[in-house]
Amino acid sequence: MKTLPYSLAFTLVASTLLAGCDNPKTPTQSTGTKTTATKTVDAGKPVAGGEVSWGITTEPVCFDPHRSGQQNSFIVIRNYVDSLIGKQADGSFAPWLAKSWNVSPDGLNYTFVLRDDVTFTDGTPFDAAAVKANLDYIKDPKNTALAVTFLEYYDRTEVVSPHEVKIVLARPDSAMLESLSSVKLGFLSPKTLTSGADLCAGGPGLVGTGPFIFQNYQRGQSARFVKNANYKWGPGYARNKGAPYLDAVTYRFIPEYAVRAGALSSGQVDLIEGVQPSDIPLFKDAEGFQYLVGPSAETSFTLNINYTHGVGTDVRVRQALRDGFDVDAVVKSLYLGTVPRAWSNIGPDNPAYNKALVGTWGNNIAKANALLDEAGWTSRDDQGYRTKDGQRLRIEVGFPQPYVRDNRDLLIQSIQAAVKKNIGFDLDLRITTGGDWAKTRADGSWHIYPNTLNPSDSALSLRDVLGSTGFYSGVREKTDPIIVGLIDKARATSDLAARQPILDRIQQRAVDQAYIVPLFAPSYQIAAKSSLHDLSFEAQLDSPSNLYDAWLSSGTVSQAK
Amino acid sequence: MWRAVLTRILSSLMVIWLSVSAAFVALHSLPGNIADVLAGDVEYPGLREAIAAEWGLDKSLPEQYLDFLGRLIEGNLGTSYIMRMPVSDILASQLWPTVQLALSAGALAIVLSIGITLLTAGRSLRLRKVASLFELVCTSTPVFWIGILLLMLFSFQLRLFPVAGAQGWRSLVLPAVTLALPTVGLLSQVLRESMEKVLEQPFITTLRSRGLSETRLRSGHVLRHGLLPIITLGGWLIGGLLGGAVITEKVFGRPGLGTVTLNAITSQDVPVVLAVVLLAAAIYVSISTLLDIVYLFIDPRLRHS
Repeated sequence: MKTLPYSLAFTLVASTLLAGCDNPKTPTQSTGTKTTATKTVDAGKPVAGGEVSWGITTEPVCFDPHRSGQQNSFIVIRNYVDSLIGKQADGSFAPWLAKSWNVSPDGLNYTFVLRDDVTFTDGTPFDAAAVKANLDYIKDPKNTALAVTFLEYYDRTEVVSPHEVKIVLARPDSAMLESLSSVKLGFLSPKTLTSGADLCAGGPGLVGTGPFIFQNYQRGQSARFVKNANYKWGPGYARNKGAPYLDAVTYRFIPEYAVRAGALSSGQVDLIEGVQPSDIPLFKDAEGFQYLVGPSAETSFTLNINYTHGVGTDVRVRQALRDGFDVDAVVKSLYLGTVPRAWSNIGPDNPAYNKALVGTWGNNIAKANALLDEAGWTSRDDQGYRTKDGQRLRIEVGFPQPYVRDNRDLLIQSIQAAVKKNIGFDLDLRITTGGDWAKTRADGSWHIYPNTLNPSDSALSLRDVLGSTGFYSGVREKTDPIIVGLIDKARATSDLAARQPILDRIQQRAVDQAYIVPLFAPSYQIAAKSSLHDLSFEAQLDSPSNLYDAWLSSGTVSQAK
Repeated sequence: MWRAVLTRILSSLMVIWLSVSAAFVALHSLPGNIADVLAGDVEYPGLREAIAAEWGLDKSLPEQYLDFLGRLIEGNLGTSYIMRMPVSDILASQLWPTVQLALSAGALAIVLSIGITLLTAGRSLRLRKVASLFELVCTSTPVFWIGILLLMLFSFQLRLFPVAGAQGWRSLVLPAVTLALPTVGLLSQVLRESMEKVLEQPFITTLRSRGLSETRLRSGHVLRHGLLPIITLGGWLIGGLLGGAVITEKVFGRPGLGTVTLNAITSQDVPVVLAVVLLAAAIYVSISTLLDIVYLFIDPRLRHS
């Protein structure tokens, strides 16, 4: 392993990521290493001042935390939105706007004691009534807030006292703490909620309690945030305990990889998110720059095989597809070793990841061919594909165009070529529309759907992929009762330690039955000038967050903008 | 005369109405229920119904169409499903950067191609060969690639111009050049060919025999004749510039209609797409009307017929 000059800790980060699959560390260790990485690199006392300009890949289409479903929008939204509690890399929770909390033994009542010194940036105090106003707002279907999916079992919020609030559920929900740590259930000023203005549009009208204040939004160009000088209520895991160090942060929307990289290398921005493999050498180990890779805790990029109709109903066909190619090889050749291949659809840095799956499946072409022979796909057509009763062995992969990114379509194409050659399987990639996916999902007629999900509690992620209300909502009567039962049980088990064996069993069964073929564990990359310190990732978002902890070396503050 | 003008206006409105209606039908024939698309992967009892009610998607298609036409007559373009803002506000904030880019690129393209043609038409073979090679490279290189190359040289290396955004003239230079080059390639090819044809005409010999200087001959007489095919290409030119602006805006991270349109189409944001179609149809119709008038100025023969 090549040694990186920055620090030993940094080397460890890289080795964890590069060697992730061969030499899996426990999630706690690996994420722990990452956290120390930034600390060790950035020895020195933070200084206040300066402005940072950050080139990001995606302009949020909606700036409302409750309504947005776009993963990359949350990097920006986190500037002005705080949560009750913060999720840490090891899966535990840290205080944030709530000082302490308590879950009743029956899992129905969640009581939070709130900090009493928090105000929204419009001056409104943050109190129990504000918590209630936000949760009730999200729960009301008439507000069409997508975050409502986190409040499936939410019944009501009771204001116990100005700074104590009780959230009452109709059924126990083990996902509740993680959901409350999500930016989607973060808090906007009650005045903002009732203002009647549409909050998707962004701008200074969006008021939260966060470390930065939304100053101005220029569509198609930039969004600018200024420091909230009163802020002292950051999450427990933050290094900073007071106001943010930076005076302002400007996000610039630069969708092209090469252009973002050029903007950073020529000093026109201080920080970029999204670095393509071929640009990494520009920043990694390069004089004046730093390169960081985030955790991969949320869903891995996975082929979900619909097992309720067509050839997908035959477990032998699904298993043949799962084992009929070398996941390692296709992922490495496309991503040049920057991302690890996946073993489960839950990411390797997630505490809920089933580590026992590592090395248990895939790349067994002889067995895959035997399975297909056994299933009766014995003849071949003139193009070399297997056939049975004159039908070609073919499954369609419907990939909605809006979700195609990071060369994921090319990845599927290389799998397509591999399974054709190895086992005579026609994996037919079709780039479709969001509407096409919505339609086939509604009637259950989709075949293979490749996807990753927004971060959420693992039980919810598994529900969305494999449960009866997720991708299978159109055909819920045909779903596997074992897996659906396990998912329901996991949701009902509020003790997170007792829940883990259930989550392990769900992942195990999904892979054994080849309901899923996990491909790779995506992660966020950031590159920055080396004068910018204490950059980090948020465990719940699984991505970069706001720049609350970040600061500029004193010599560079004046020239930063 | 007035009758002709009236017919012209009515047929323009007809074109606009037909294109918007066609777009409406096309958008609604795409697979998938729009409420499902808007809900994305979120499954929640009552959510889809609420979304459908919020946007009037629970009504029948003919009703939705009539609602849409009714709003249009009132001058209301509706609200974006995704951005949840009045479409007119979105267009108003994004139109100017695109127009600015397209106009400066268009002007640059015309000036450059006229310059190239005046210098090369009917001149030495070597000069013409160099020019046609340049033109061929310009027309066959993707806008995207030209943009990246210009950025690498002038922004990342020489640091003369900013990489992205739309602040001040400096940020307009590279995108305008990027967008202009392919147009320059095509325009100067067409222009040179037509000028060379004119140069072979007998009246040129007459003019030369009267002792007119080559420069005055070319700029005063030949150019005027040679320009006619360019005017015919005017509609294409506008279309190319607006279309190319989409890609240019993306490469340079500039605000503009391009990104908005692209996102609206992929997310089936019907009101925004319809408004963009309406706008594009209106621009085409007005440009072609305008060009018909410009013909009259350039070619006196048309004034009398």
